[in-house]
Amino acid sequence: MKKLAIGLFPAITIALMVWGYYQAIYVAPEEQTMHEAQRIFYYHVPSAMVAFLFFAVSLCGSIGYLAWRRSKPDLAQASDAWALAGAEVGVVFCTVVLITGPLWGRRAWGIWWTWDARLTTTLVLWLIYVSYLLLRRFAAGPQMQTLAAVLGIFGALDVPIVYMSNRWWRTQHPAPVFGGGPDSGIKDPAMLEAFGWNVLAWLCWGLLILFLRYRVERLHQQYEAAEAEEALTSA
Amino acid sequence: MDQRAILDHQFVVAAYAITWILQLGYLAWLGFKWRSEKRNAERRAGQAR
Repeated sequence: MKKLAIGLFPAITIALMVWGYYQAIYVAPEEQTMHEAQRIFYYHVPSAMVAFLFFAVSLCGSIGYLAWRRSKPDLAQASDAWALAGAEVGVVFCTVVLITGPLWGRRAWGIWWTWDARLTTTLVLWLIYVSYLLLRRFAAGPQMQTLAAVLGIFGALDVPIVYMSNRWWRTQHPAPVFGGGPDSGIKDPAMLEAFGWNVLAWLCWGLLILFLRYRVERLHQQYEAAEAEEALTSA
Repeated sequence: MDQRAILDHQFVVAAYAITWILQLGYLAWLGFKWRSEKRNAERRAGQAR
């Protein structure tokens, strides 16, 4: 049953990706002011949503590691693997956001980039998590996981700032799609449906690679633990 | 198709293509990393025997 689910999930994800693409390109109507360039929105916004979700996974993993690193080492290692997987996959999605956003901005505003609050805080968020990954890659020693967990928690503090930035400050970035007041939201049902399918598709894709990244990290931890044990017994 | 529509289309294609290149590139890198970790584990198991 577990094997069937593991085999079925990637197949469902691929089907959702194809369906989401079809909805975004062929079914959703063309927006009246931004024309076809608005279709970038169907990849840009879901990627941002998934990135935020995975940075939250990284936050939970980091907290779990700090909470259990002495009392429950096995659970702490699993938490650390979730923290790394969340941060790394989150960075991939955040990179998509930072590339597709300027592509849309160039067509809508005539500029690639502006230092407004939403764009700047998103770039800062990306830089924090890239620093987190660099720390994990190049720092050595037993303190590395603890330092990474602390940085992971601080990095996640930027997520609500990014989310609220175009509510707190006047920005060039468009108004929030959801929860931004009475005028927010997607009015056209076909656009809303295309957006919903793409959110679901990218969420499934994200979960798939998040789980893969977690498994790879667990394998790496097991290998390192066995190496350390062997070094101790041979010493 | 006017010039603006052509440019809009090109930007959409670029955004979608870059997204997929990034996502599939990351998946491929994960695949390589997975294989490398599996090999390490097998090598260790061989040494232990």
